[in-house]
Amino acid sequence: MAVKVEFVNPFVTAAAEVLRAEVGTEIKRGTLSLQNSAATTDDVTVLINLVGDVEGTVMFSMSREMALGMVSEMIGEPVAELDELAQSGIGELGNVISGQAATRLSQGGLSANISVPTLIVGQGAKISTLDFQRLVVPLETRLGTMKVHLALRQK
Amino acid sequence: MEAEIINPFVTAAAEVLRAEAGLTVKRGALSLQSGAVTTDEVAVLLTLLGDIEGMVVFNFPLSLCLGLVSRMLDQEFEEFGELAQSGIAELGNVIAGGAATRMSNAGISADISVPTMIMGQGLSVAAPRFQRLVVPLETEYGCLEMHLAVRRRAG
Repeated sequence: MAVKVEFVNPFVTAAAEVLRAEVGTEIKRGTLSLQNSAATTDDVTVLINLVGDVEGTVMFSMSREMALGMVSEMIGEPVAELDELAQSGIGELGNVISGQAATRLSQGGLSANISVPTLIVGQGAKISTLDFQRLVVPLETRLGTMKVHLALRQK
Repeated sequence: MEAEIINPFVTAAAEVLRAEAGLTVKRGALSLQSGAVTTDEVAVLLTLLGDIEGMVVFNFPLSLCLGLVSRMLDQEFEEFGELAQSGIAELGNVIAGGAATRMSNAGISADISVPTMIMGQGLSVAAPRFQRLVVPLETEYGCLEMHLAVRRRAG
């Protein structure tokens, strides 16, 4: 099932604002791509589900270095280990981006609730959103590139 | 974690495995764990949103997935292709849906997200700051581990 392009901008705008405010980095959006097969995991993936007028899965995937870099900026001191506190910080970042995106979607008349974030750590496995296509949006930052995977449809 | 949350999942899992695949399950000893789930060969992840929130992970050895879909579709499966994947994801969905129905009968309402499938052993999957109850369900094809990281929503 096709992902609507109108779902992209709320997430990109929310990510830009949250990453600027929390991490102090600007983002540059790379080229979008539509994928049908399972995603191959990067080191760290934050997964959040949407339930409501828009339903599906959003994933934020990044390298370990980028995850640690972002948590270090958020906390204001260097973080070298991806322990539970760091994971919780990265999960929270995904949560805030998704929450703001959901607010933007609701301003466009589509209401959706977001789940708690889950963290998947480990490279090279497959994550499948099954019969949902994924639109992949790369966001380049000074700390690395975060890929936002949108597997969403209007209910 | 409360019995009102645990029992609906255990009952729904046993019923669905019996109804869909003709399997009798034997529940092993429950254990409470902290930290992340380590994935088996196939993991199905769903989140819950409502009066309760959190994640459910079903951890399957491949042998169990193939045995289950072979029985569900009455056809021998030797490879875990798209059809088999969607059958196993659907199984997770039906178990979680059955649990949600049972909880709502007890006055706890929750929506279930779409399922996501993780393929690749040894990844860690966590809902940060949630306790996790592990329910082993033994079948003739291997053990289905049900991980419940669910709590009542604050406020």
